Amino acid sequence: MKFVFTDEQLALAATVRDVLRAHCPPAALRSERRPAWEQLAEIGFFGLLLPPDADGLELRLVDALPALEETGRACLPGPVVETAVAAPYLLDDVAKLASGSVCVSVLLPGQAYAPDADLADLLVVARADGLHLVSRDSVRLTSRPGVDPCRRLFDVSFDDSVLLDRSYVPALRRVTVATAAQLIGVGRQLLAAAVTHAQVRTQFGAAIGSFQAVKHQLADVAIALDFAAPLVHRAALSVDDPVVPTVDRDVSAAKAAAGEAAALAARVALQVHGAIGYTDELDLRFWLARAWSLSAAYGGSAVHRARVRESVIGGDLRRYP
Amino acid sequence: MDLDFSAAEQDFRAEVRDWLARHVPDGLPSMDTPEGFEAHRAWEALLASARLSAVSWPEEYGGRNASLIEWLIFEEEYWAAGAPGRVTQNGIFLLAPTLMAYGTEEQRRRWLPGMAKADEVWAQAWSEPEAGSDLAALKSRATRVEGGWRLYGQKTWSSRAAYASHGFGLFRTSEEGRHRGLTYFMLSLDLDEVTVRPIAQLDGLPGFAELFFDGVFVPDSMVLGAPGEGWRIAMATTSSERGLALRSPGRFLATADRLVHLARDAGPELADRAVRCWTDAEAYRLHTFATARRLMSGAEIGSASSMGKVFWSELDLRMHTLAMELLGERAGETPWLDGFLFALAGPIYAGTNEIQRNIIAERVLGLPR
Repeated sequence: MKFVFTDEQLALAATVRDVLRAHCPPAALRSERRPAWEQLAEIGFFGLLLPPDADGLELRLVDALPALEETGRACLPGPVVETAVAAPYLLDDVAKLASGSVCVSVLLPGQAYAPDADLADLLVVARADGLHLVSRDSVRLTSRPGVDPCRRLFDVSFDDSVLLDRSYVPALRRVTVATAAQLIGVGRQLLAAAVTHAQVRTQFGAAIGSFQAVKHQLADVAIALDFAAPLVHRAALSVDDPVVPTVDRDVSAAKAAAGEAAALAARVALQVHGAIGYTDELDLRFWLARAWSLSAAYGGSAVHRARVRESVIGGDLRRYP
Repeated sequence: MDLDFSAAEQDFRAEVRDWLARHVPDGLPSMDTPEGFEAHRAWEALLASARLSAVSWPEEYGGRNASLIEWLIFEEEYWAAGAPGRVTQNGIFLLAPTLMAYGTEEQRRRWLPGMAKADEVWAQAWSEPEAGSDLAALKSRATRVEGGWRLYGQKTWSSRAAYASHGFGLFRTSEEGRHRGLTYFMLSLDLDEVTVRPIAQLDGLPGFAELFFDGVFVPDSMVLGAPGEGWRIAMATTSSERGLALRSPGRFLATADRLVHLARDAGPELADRAVRCWTDAEAYRLHTFATARRLMSGAEIGSASSMGKVFWSELDLRMHTLAMELLGERAGETPWLDGFLFALAGPIYAGTNEIQRNIIAERVLGLPR
């Protein structure tokens, strides 16, 4: 058993991190809707899960997990997981996905609205009669108010669509785990920002990070993130394993834990920053908003906790391996 | 990254499960009573006869050279089988890793086989009346004499010391600095110049004791590492393997399974709390697999072990607190009451959780002292 990331998996994440540092700086969050998109396409990011005949690398979700965590850490805007993780399991024609020239949003069971749908070339919408593929030209979008200025929400309606003859389940599981990985990244960046602030901000003649009341809150955030992450890794392994029967339980456990850990990170980061954290001016606001928006995406923590409860109380105490 | 056990690991699990199914005794009396202590020693000797008491040790000391992953498998099976608490805990999980890393070959040969069979049972002797969380403030001292040292002073809250044969801990051997003047000693408790005063715990039984040293002679062969190196040695094993070895996930997984059964017919709010605990136990298990793999690759986990200590001790307490709520006045008729009292000690011993959070903040996150 090797329940740690391989050098290759970490190297992929390092490459993505370098791209995002260069092309998705905090300033870009105020001015661009899809920063770093082209550069990510150039390094093959949108083809990670695609088959080789679609210019993809055919990786498992777990291989891409550290890289997805980096997109959370950078607060990367745009329908990233929808295009890179969900679309390969929804579309019949995936030929153009790897190039990054096709941007996809989704509205699957459990979602109230489609994220960043105004940027999407294609939408996949679940209706009672099945999965509909809707092109940009046939969709009508109504903007809905939301907490995250970089992850806008839309109501979707359409007249023309193509029915997709497949289940949304494999895509929904994977995009939920990918979102959980992003939440871990968001949480880690919130913790790092709060630690930095606590090191430099002085009151009563001392760095506020020297006070135990501050230290202990930040330690609790570190613990929450450190023990949520393995559940996300486990869920990523489960979705690609044909014999693990607890996959839905594992996905829900991961999303709930990651969402709660990121929400705690947001709460503590704001408290440690004090009033300056409560401003539009400080970039922290983007990570706060992302923690909240992704916590609610693809089922909030309460929904997923209830699913885990039903599974475990229902008698499924099995642990895999 | 994978979670697949090898064929050898699966075989090992099957062997352990089979042996435990045939040998685990029905509830022994508390190890903090004279008859319970002897019953637990006999159980340890039986475990050792199957070379299962310290599976990760080298074979020459009574182990099986098991990997950390196999040790975790053993622990899962051990606690799932409802096997007794380990009266050898302090020796096998706290002293032995230190002996392996810093002891001499002679010391390892002399003490490890007997520890594995519970011929000797070891108590820890760290805290003093004025040195608890601030352990380096300890005042008990050792003075140099021909061929060894004489120990003076007082230790307290010494787990297992009421019945144990031996102890280990830090004593001050020079006044050159709080940390640098400390030396790591092992010693017999069955000597005239050592007075053991048992202390009854919340359950009324003497799970720990006060120790008084009145010039007891300890030979040089019982010093672990070099004089003056005691603090560094104690902390090195605290923060590396001990952080993992102190509490394997196995017992929390077993507790979580039992808690879910207990909460099955409770309302959704109580069931939700039980299932959160169950998921957290799983998270601790997975986290530990990753930690074990890093240690097996030669990495040190250092201060990050403090995160595990806070997590498991507070999880354990949450589980037992919920069980007490679910059982109400019937709790005393079940093992949950003793478990609850034991869980209450978790956030206090092995460095309080306040100290652990300071360590996390300062040494993992880099906040100023």
